[in-house]
Order: sequence, then structure tokens, then C-alpha cells
Amino acid sequence: MNLEFIGQTLVTLLAGIPITLELAALAIAGGALLGFAIALMRLSQHPFLYVSAWLYVQIIRSTPLLVLLFLIYYGLGQFSALRSSFLWPVLKQAYWCAVIALVINGSAFAAEIFRGGLLSVGRKEVEAARACGMSGILLYRRIVFPLAIRQALPAYSNEMVAMVKATSLASLVTLMDVTGIAASIASSTYQPIPVFVAAGAIYLLINTLLTRAVRALEYRLTPHLRPAQYATASAVTEAGVTPT
Amino acid sequence: MDLARTFELVGFGPDGWGAILLAGTATTLAAAFCGLLLSFVLGALGASAKVAGGPAARAAAETYTTILRGVPELLVIFLFYFGSSSVLGAIAALFQYQGFIALPGFLAGVLAIGVVEGAVMVEVLRGAFLAVKPGEIEAAKACGMNTFLRFRRIIAPLTLRHALPGIGNVWIGLLKGSSLLSATGVAELMRQTQVAAGSTRLPFDFYVAAGAIYIVITVSSGVVFQLAERHYSRGVARP
Amino acid sequence: MTTAVRLQNIHKRFGALEVLRGITLEAQEGEVLSLLGSSGSGKSTLLRCINMLEIPNDGDVWVAGEAVKFRAGRQGQSRTVDTAQIDRLRSRIGMVFQSFNLWPHLTILENVIEAPIHVLKRPRSECIQEARDLLERVGIGDKAQYYPAHLSGGQQQRAAIARALAMHPNLMLFDEPTSALDPELVGGVLRVIRSLAEEGRTMLVVTHEMAFARDVSSRVIFLHKGEVEADGPPEDVFTNSSSPHFQQFLGREARTE
Repeated sequence: MNLEFIGQTLVTLLAGIPITLELAALAIAGGALLGFAIALMRLSQHPFLYVSAWLYVQIIRSTPLLVLLFLIYYGLGQFSALRSSFLWPVLKQAYWCAVIALVINGSAFAAEIFRGGLLSVGRKEVEAARACGMSGILLYRRIVFPLAIRQALPAYSNEMVAMVKATSLASLVTLMDVTGIAASIASSTYQPIPVFVAAGAIYLLINTLLTRAVRALEYRLTPHLRPAQYATASAVTEAGVTPT
Repeated sequence: MDLARTFELVGFGPDGWGAILLAGTATTLAAAFCGLLLSFVLGALGASAKVAGGPAARAAAETYTTILRGVPELLVIFLFYFGSSSVLGAIAALFQYQGFIALPGFLAGVLAIGVVEGAVMVEVLRGAFLAVKPGEIEAAKACGMNTFLRFRRIIAPLTLRHALPGIGNVWIGLLKGSSLLSATGVAELMRQTQVAAGSTRLPFDFYVAAGAIYIVITVSSGVVFQLAERHYSRGVARP
Repeated sequence: MTTAVRLQNIHKRFGALEVLRGITLEAQEGEVLSLLGSSGSGKSTLLRCINMLEIPNDGDVWVAGEAVKFRAGRQGQSRTVDTAQIDRLRSRIGMVFQSFNLWPHLTILENVIEAPIHVLKRPRSECIQEARDLLERVGIGDKAQYYPAHLSGGQQQRAAIARALAMHPNLMLFDEPTSALDPELVGGVLRVIRSLAEEGRTMLVVTHEMAFARDVSSRVIFLHKGEVEADGPPEDVFTNSSSPHFQQFLGREARTE
């Protein structure tokens, strides 16, 4: 194993980082949005809404992401109606298939986390807000969501790491992300160990930075959970005054 | 998608792929189960290092969990599968052997998913051990139980009871993770589904069927774990 | 009379905090000692030094005439030398904890027979028979098949006393046995402890129950800031103690009772 080879490998792998990061960002953002909608459905009073949301979450969480990905990438092409529809230019691309699979997969896990966060908001806080005359969207926007997000953030940070790792499956539908490039270098150079270790180091770095960033955000958002001398007043007023 | 046709295809009739999918399912379960055993051993070692180990053992366990929880499972599978071939190839070359040799895909895959989920198991078992109340261990000391007896009769049973839900999650993770072994050619459920999808040109039907089989497995193992939990947590307050 | 426990110049530190500052104490067989003191006075720590749940930093401990072997470590934390000896001594010392500490995965009966079977290696059937008698005696004979979580605090504590008695201990240690109980459950547990005292068992009881200390114990020890401030028969200590701290302590306890 020589250092020069590892250096070259790392440089080649760097080319895969943008696509890995794009997939991860789209999956996290899309998963969060869809997951949030599903969490609200889960918590609604309407039986059809919460039963279908519950079923969705159970089905997606019990199915391997690879099945979902192949179902979308290989399976949808089976329908000629779909192949001739306006959707096909998008659905025939591995990239968008990977994004859709990652978003669907992520949304089921995100939904459960958001649901937990929303359920954690105490009756007392809500009552206090109602006593101030807040209701409906205002109540949710100013009191419930801010509290729920703070509660859900640590668990969601794990979910984001899981999504970054999950993007590696895109390599199995021909995308040249970090894993895809690593697999191709490994098979052409017959030096799999340094290649996969280098690729692993890249993911580890991305996930470490991501975890750090979320932890910093969490710290900023929760001065009320720290001992008084560490909680800066500026953070409190900022969170309280800035319209969100 | 024609349901009657789908059922015929995944069934056990003359044109059915049922037997092949069933064999794949058995391989999936076997891989996940072997992975569970390995992850439990690694988890127990890592958790005891984190709870009671010296600085070196703690640092090693910490490094293990940090790395394996930050790296994609697929990469670890590739590393074990292709990496083993390069190591074994180098060893074989010493004996003047030139052909391609590798760990069997099943073995390399089980090692990989076991090592990955072992990192999760470390935290499951550590958390479960910490949920055992110190007073319950002290009471065992006060009765004159020695370290081994204390572990066997009090600490291990209580830790396992607290760990059951987490072990259930690891098991689900192993089941789903084993689908990635298809990428190294292991003839588990996902791989057999790919073969069937390719030769019938009906990928949608078969991937839906595969998804359904995974759901049946996870839901029924969920039921088993819940029953076990109810059975073993009689009297044990949830932490 | 023979000496059941002897403590000589016991010191115990937790970090910079010195909890016990040179305690010397003896209990004869058949004596019932009540250890009194405000919280933080070191009385629970002293009790736990007898069966080595805490290891003293300095001093000597004898149990049933046998010197317990331990030594002070370098960084202040001390360690036992002979774990087999400690385990053997502990099997002869019954301990009842403030928070009961029953094993939650075992039924009440299984809790009581656990150590006799596995530590003393006695036959199972004999242990079960005896456990049933003990549970009957502490008034929860009908709860043998229940799990601890299904019992009230008072019942759990009585089960814990039965568990300790099942080891046929030469010495019983009670660490605030009624402090975690609701007031209406205290009486039942105290009645059981009192009946054990009347059998002539050797007992050390850390307690806040002044009436119990006065009526049941043969000697009362008052600890203040890790030192023995008063030691004598209850009538002497309660009526004639010259210690101003003890008078203050009595005043506080009277208010809270």
C-alpha cells in the first residue's frame, strides 16, 4: 500500500462528493418536508388520514431501501403508459429515481421523529398560549413547532447521518457517487482495501461535520436547558424576536 | 400490474418463482441471524469495554462505534468482500497460487453486516446495562454473591431485558442490511428477485413481491419481539 | 458476650470530602444499635463500611472476630485484598436498603431463595419451604408469586427483610429502612424489625424514627460530621446528652415528625 496511490484515489473520489452531497441534501430536505406532512396526518383526527399515514410509515420502514430503489428504477419502466408520459424524462434517470427513493425512505423515519417531537409539546405550554389568545396556525408557528423541533433535533441528526450513508446505494443504479467511483477504482486497480477505506473516511468526515453542525444548532436553540450562567441572553432574545 | 399473473409468478406453480424466492428468503434469514450472533458478541465486548474497560479498551470501543456508525454499510460489505480477496490473494501468491480467491460472499457479507450492526449493539447493551439500578447490583453484593454469580444471576438477565427492544431494532437493521449482500452476488432474497425480475421482464411485480416478503418478515419478527418483551418484562419497570 | 462488629478509627473520604473522621465503635452479640444523625453525618456510609460496600480509607474492621482485609490505594480510593473473604462475610451479614433493591426480574419468592441456593448452595426445596415461612412471618405470605413492582413499598421492604433473613445472618444492617415509605406503611415494617430485635438478633439500624430508637435499641449512637458525638443506652443519650448538636438534631426531628 503506498501513500501516492491513496492520495490519487482520494483526489479521484473527491469528484464523487458533489453528487453524494446533492443526493443527501435533497433526501434530507425532501424527507423532512414529506415526513412532516405525514406526521401531521398521523396526528390528525381523521381516521382515513392517520390510518393511511400509519400504513405508509410501517410499509416503508419494513422494506429495505434497495427494494424501493429498484422498484422505482427498474420496476416503473414496466408500464408503457408511464414510459410515454411527461414524467418519463425524469423517471428514466437514475439520479431522480435515487432521489425519490431516498426521499420516500427518509420521510417514513422523519415522520416518526417529528410525531414524537410534536407529542412531546406539553399541554401546559399550549394552554398558556391559548390563554394569551393564540390559536390555529399562530399557536403552531410560535409555540408548538419551535418546541417540537428542539425536541426532535437530536434524533433527527441521527436520521440525517443515516440518509448520508443511504446515498451510497445510488451507486447500485449506476450513479458515480463516492461509493460508485470507489467500486470502479477498486475493480480496475485490484487494490480494494485502500480505496474503500479512503471512501469510508470521506463519509466519516461528512457525517462528523454534519453531526457537529446540528449539535451547534441545537446548542443555539436550547439556552433554556443550560445552567443560567452559560445561557446567553442574546440567544434567547434572538430566538424570541426574530420572526420565523 | 395484473394481480392474478403476479400471484402465479411468485407462486409455486410450474411457471412460479416461489421456490427460488423462498430459498432466497431462507438465505436472508440465515445471513441476518448469523449477523445477529456476531453483532451480539461484538456489542457485548464493546459495551463492557465502554462500561468497565481501561482507557485503551474504552478508546478502542469508542473508535469502533464512531467509525462504523459513520460509514455506509455497502462500503463495509465491499471492503470485506473485495478486501478479503486481495488479502487472501496476497497470501495465496506466497504459495505460488495465481487464481482468484475470496471469502465466500455469504461469509464476507455476514461479517460485514455483523460488524456494522455490532456498533449499534454496543450502544444498545451499554444503555441497557446503565438502566440496571445500582441498588439491585449492590443487593447482590450484600448477599455475598461473587462477581461471576452476580453477573450471571442479576446483571445479565436484567441487562438483556432492558436491551430487548434495541436488539429487535438491530435485528430489523440486519434483515434490511442483508439485502445489500445481493451486490456481491449472495443468493439471498434480493438477488433472487433480481434474477426473476430480469428473466421475466416483470421487475415491478417481483420487487413488490420482495417488498411484501420483507414486510411479512419484519412484522412477524416485531410480533415475536413484542411477545418476548412482554414475557420477560413482567415486573421489570421500563426505564 | 462476644463482639459482633468492631470498627477502629475508620476514615472515609469521597474526593475532598471527609465523611467519616476516625470512628471507633463496638457492637456485642444481641445488641441493637441505632445510628442517628442528620443527613450527611456519615451514618449510612459507616453502615456500608461494615460489609465493604464502601471500603474505608483507613482504620480496621472486625466482623465476628475476623479482621477484614483491605488496603488504601494510592489515589485515595481503597480496595479489598481478599474478595473471597468479603463475599463470605457478606453472606453472613444481612442488609436491608432504604430503596429495598429487590431484583425486579424475580418473583418475591425467587428473590428470597436466590442467594441461599446460589451462594450458600442449599437444596432448593428446603430454601422454598423456609422462604414461605419467612414471608408468612413478615406478613406477605400471600405475595410469594408476585413481582416486586406489583407490591407496595411497605410490602417490598418486608420482602427485602425476608430476603436478608433467609441467609441466616449473624448480623443485620438496616439502612434507613422506612425512609422511602409512605407514612401509613412505616408501622408494619417497624413492627417486623422490632420483633427481630426481641429475638435477640444483633442489629445496626440507621434510622430517623426516634420512638423506635428510644424503645427498641439497646444503644444509641449519634454521629455528627463524621464523628461519634454520643454513645450510650437510649435513656442516657436522650435525656442526659450534653451534646448541643444532639439537642438541635432532636429539635429538628421533632418538628418534621
